Amino acid sequence: MSDEPTETPDATDETGSVVERTQRELPSWERIRESELFVVAATTLAVAIFPWLFARAPVVSGVLQGYQDLATLILIWGIFAMGFNLLLGYTGLLSFGHAAFWGGAAYAAGVFSAQVSSSPILIILAGTSFAALSAWILGFISLRRGGIYFAILTLAFGQMAFYMALSPLAWITGGENGFTGVELGKLFGVFQLRYPVPGLDWLVGTWKYVLVGGVAVLCVAAANRILHSPYGMVFRAIRENDQRAEFVGLNVWRYKLMAFIISGTFAGVAGSLFTIYSAYVPLSSFYWTTSGEVVIMAVLGGVGSLFGPILGAAIYLYVENIVSGVQQLTLPFTGPNEYVTLVQEPVVLMDGFGAYWHLILGLVFVAVVVLFPRGIWGLLMDFGSAVRKLGGGR
Amino acid sequence: MARREKTDVSRRDVVKMAGATGLAGLGVAGSASAQEYPPIGNFPIQGNPTFGFTVPQSGPYSSEGQDELRAYRMAVEHLNNGGGWVDNWSDLSGNGVLDQQIEFVSGDTATDADTARQTARRMIQRDQAIMLSGGSSSAVAIAIQELCQREKVNYMCCLTHSNDTTGKSCVRYSFREMFNAYMSAQALVPPVTNEYGGDNNFYQLYADYTWGQTVQSSMSQFFGEAGWNEMNSVATPLGTKDFSSYLSQVPRDQTDVLFLDHYGLDGANSLSQAKEMGLDEDMEIVVPLYNRPMAQAAGGAIEDVFGTVAWDSQIDNPPSNQFTQAFNDRYDRIPSGPAQLAYAQTLQYAAAVQRAGTFYPPEVIKQLEGREYNNIGMGQELMRKCDHQAQRAVPVVKGLSESEQQQGQFFEIVNLTGADQLGYSCDEGPAGECELGPYE
Amino acid sequence: MSLLAETVTVLLNGLQQGAIYVLVAIGLSIILGTLKFVNFAHGALYLIGTYAGLLITLKITPTGGKLADWGYTTLGLGWGFLPALLIVPILVFVVGLAMERFVARPFYDRPDTDQILLTFGLAIVVQEVFKILFGGQSYNFARPGWASGQVGLPIVGTFPEWRLYIIGITATVVVLVYGLIEYTDFGLVVRAGTRDAEMVELLGIKLSRPYLMVFGVGAALAGVAGVVGGPLYAVNPNIGTEVLVPSFLVVVIGGVGSISGAVLGGILIGETLAVMVAIAPQWSQVGIYVLAAIVLLARPQGLLGAEEVAP
Repeated sequence: MSDEPTETPDATDETGSVVERTQRELPSWERIRESELFVVAATTLAVAIFPWLFARAPVVSGVLQGYQDLATLILIWGIFAMGFNLLLGYTGLLSFGHAAFWGGAAYAAGVFSAQVSSSPILIILAGTSFAALSAWILGFISLRRGGIYFAILTLAFGQMAFYMALSPLAWITGGENGFTGVELGKLFGVFQLRYPVPGLDWLVGTWKYVLVGGVAVLCVAAANRILHSPYGMVFRAIRENDQRAEFVGLNVWRYKLMAFIISGTFAGVAGSLFTIYSAYVPLSSFYWTTSGEVVIMAVLGGVGSLFGPILGAAIYLYVENIVSGVQQLTLPFTGPNEYVTLVQEPVVLMDGFGAYWHLILGLVFVAVVVLFPRGIWGLLMDFGSAVRKLGGGR
Repeated sequence: MARREKTDVSRRDVVKMAGATGLAGLGVAGSASAQEYPPIGNFPIQGNPTFGFTVPQSGPYSSEGQDELRAYRMAVEHLNNGGGWVDNWSDLSGNGVLDQQIEFVSGDTATDADTARQTARRMIQRDQAIMLSGGSSSAVAIAIQELCQREKVNYMCCLTHSNDTTGKSCVRYSFREMFNAYMSAQALVPPVTNEYGGDNNFYQLYADYTWGQTVQSSMSQFFGEAGWNEMNSVATPLGTKDFSSYLSQVPRDQTDVLFLDHYGLDGANSLSQAKEMGLDEDMEIVVPLYNRPMAQAAGGAIEDVFGTVAWDSQIDNPPSNQFTQAFNDRYDRIPSGPAQLAYAQTLQYAAAVQRAGTFYPPEVIKQLEGREYNNIGMGQELMRKCDHQAQRAVPVVKGLSESEQQQGQFFEIVNLTGADQLGYSCDEGPAGECELGPYE
Repeated sequence: MSLLAETVTVLLNGLQQGAIYVLVAIGLSIILGTLKFVNFAHGALYLIGTYAGLLITLKITPTGGKLADWGYTTLGLGWGFLPALLIVPILVFVVGLAMERFVARPFYDRPDTDQILLTFGLAIVVQEVFKILFGGQSYNFARPGWASGQVGLPIVGTFPEWRLYIIGITATVVVLVYGLIEYTDFGLVVRAGTRDAEMVELLGIKLSRPYLMVFGVGAALAGVAGVVGGPLYAVNPNIGTEVLVPSFLVVVIGGVGSISGAVLGGILIGETLAVMVAIAPQWSQVGIYVLAAIVLLARPQGLLGAEEVAP
């Protein structure tokens, strides 16, 4: 987004002190948007209406073809991608092994639920702690080398976790069949997760969504707080130039490790939620494709912004789960059952369209890397400020 | 956006929480059947009944998935308009099911349990599917049937061969027509001992996961009982591509028969590498289960190798021939084994609904349980009540040489081992570990 | 079988499995060392090599994918294996040149994370294109008839002939590449460029042409690996990514930019796999990652890597 405040030209007619005062006392839209309260409130609102809009709202949900559980899944992966971005987007470290934290937390949460307690909150805490601990160990080892070594080392450790879960540890993990013994108790001992929320089920659906949504809002608030703390400043400095940061006297390695642990912790929250969501832990949660998916989501949505990766997760999962099921690509408003039907006979653009979903994502991903390093979120922001300049500018 | 597979928005707009048993069905106009039975899962149905078919559309078994989907589509066409077996089954009218036209949705499993479950959730929640069917792997079938039990949606397995599907992991809402590893081993004993003699040393390599382990233990048990002597059985981790290190440990001079308990792509690799190392010159090779993608990937290496298949178009009896004919007329190609399973299980479900007079899942289950039939070309069969496993014949085949192979034809039928020579009672084998769970 | 015979067989198996990784890793390593370019799409070059080899060697019937839908019942030239062994490296060399010119060159000045992201995306695209055209299922790449038998060897008894050929072809190619880099003017420029590219440019030597060549040669090696490795396993669109991860391990174990390092790393990985299979199969895959971790912790620049080369 543009950092130039979009002041109205009228303000310059007044004396300079007045301009200063209006800026301080009546904060600009840009400032309001940056404030923590606004970020949290807007996120809460968006999270609350999202499942209704996506799965139940008239017309909109019909066009989008969404469904409740996909809305839940988008939030879970959104947390994962947002945490991943704290590493990639703010310190510039590209990890190809985050599946280790997502999968590790998912399995830890699953085993915990079966052996210790089925309370959802405790399950999340258990999975997250496991992920944070593994991130600390793996980060300690992997961060000895930068750049491509880091990418390859994290990839290697992620794959190591996969093969451990596949065979030597199959007696815990269930190997190829995944972990099927997940036990889910009531939220706070009161609310059955699969039941609708009384009175609000038209909006948010089940208690499961309330839990995931609540955690998602907390995660956004936490990430926002981190980015605006001194830590966030240092992370950005490291991304710009880690040698210069070192010269100023910062222990760059420590900050990188901290960023790695924070991002692993977010992955852990998401992984634990995934166990609660699916009541099942698939072996593929450790596979490197899981790491690859979160990379794609973060980059697609836009690294270096808080919400970009969440958007990326939404786009990826939408294409994976909805677009991939589309048999025929037809022109809008042709064929029966459209809201406005111009022609009865559908104009088919492409048959078997859904099968191309992976290729399409790959091409879009390459295009984003080459042309829009700030991702789709960055594009939207640029577009938004351009519109505001046009509309409100003069 | 106008991309869609199925367009009936009104039904999807109805607020209905899948999984919220007993609390679902808010504002649903009750039909006659809805007043008789309480709402459960996606019952009562709004609009036309929808079937959900989960098949591999990407990944190594996508060609098999395509063939399954062809069969599913044909099954729905026959249910709605008559044709094929529908004309012969007295339960079915050829005018839809309970006079309602059937619709269907399809989705990808990618032969991955996680993707498959996600696809199944979409079909249950968004498309309100009343019945799911499909799958090309046991991990996928087990993952989906567990979900179906939770969501109270009927599931008809397609290709799944692990003992666990109707053993340790069995559920009330799922039924399996396909035989399992246990029955494969039993079925292989008569023709294999007949051909290679009653006194042999055998050696096993098996894939180290549930399916491979169940095959390994079943082979040990039944060939041991037949008088053969097991020398060793070695686990190969899943995902192994190069089996040469394992194969070079097989003692050539003492081994008479080598069992390669690998499925699909792994099976193709281990079998061709065994041939490459010349093991077939010193011993005979047996694989537990063939499928087409494996046969294609292994090429000439399957020559003279015994195995079992789900079904084959060479099986000569009226239902089999009728199915082959109908499929060939419709698609101009020879159907694969899983295609026959897909077709059969869809029709079995529809017939059970007709008999029950309702889509109410517990009633449909009761109609399928304990059903005796002889109409899909696998002899006299029983869908057992205790574990939902069909007791049926198992086709044993031998691979053809590369020059004899042609499109859709990879095996010759050696034997159709009948149901009377196979199976196990409800308290032994895999069935002993089965707890089906509740109806409602 | 005697213990000695068993040991030698295991070692031979390891050598052969390592050989494919050596071929792929040398290309990765010299491109990374000289051009400082991280190529996650190197596995895609192996994929192209295998499919091209399959189509030149045999006539196949596509059983899935768009080509089958479009009515192609047979594909391929059926010229046999030797023509494939000659044509494929040239073909993949040309693909490599195009890749350097249009993919790598615009990204030389971007951070390595961008290079990784770009080539990662490219690898997905190539894999998907093959999946769409040929289907996701596997094809049988039959070994050439003249090499599908067994050879008698002292101590071990018999060994598959084709696997011996792989070891032989790999050894020959490695010697050729080593000679190219160590004893030619081209190699001199490349080696100098690896040490200090700026200095070489200052001396008035244009590096863009040697760079192009390095990329081409690295790609051609992946092509060779694809042709000789193809007949070992069933051919499907995933083989590219499957070969990439272990090959990266080989590069970091051996040391970036070092040909002898890649050879050593490849043999180590192959032998680790083979030995682990013999003693503890469950741990065989885990073993190579543990090996990589140990090497990198003890010697971060790799076994034969020079400290200053590492980016």
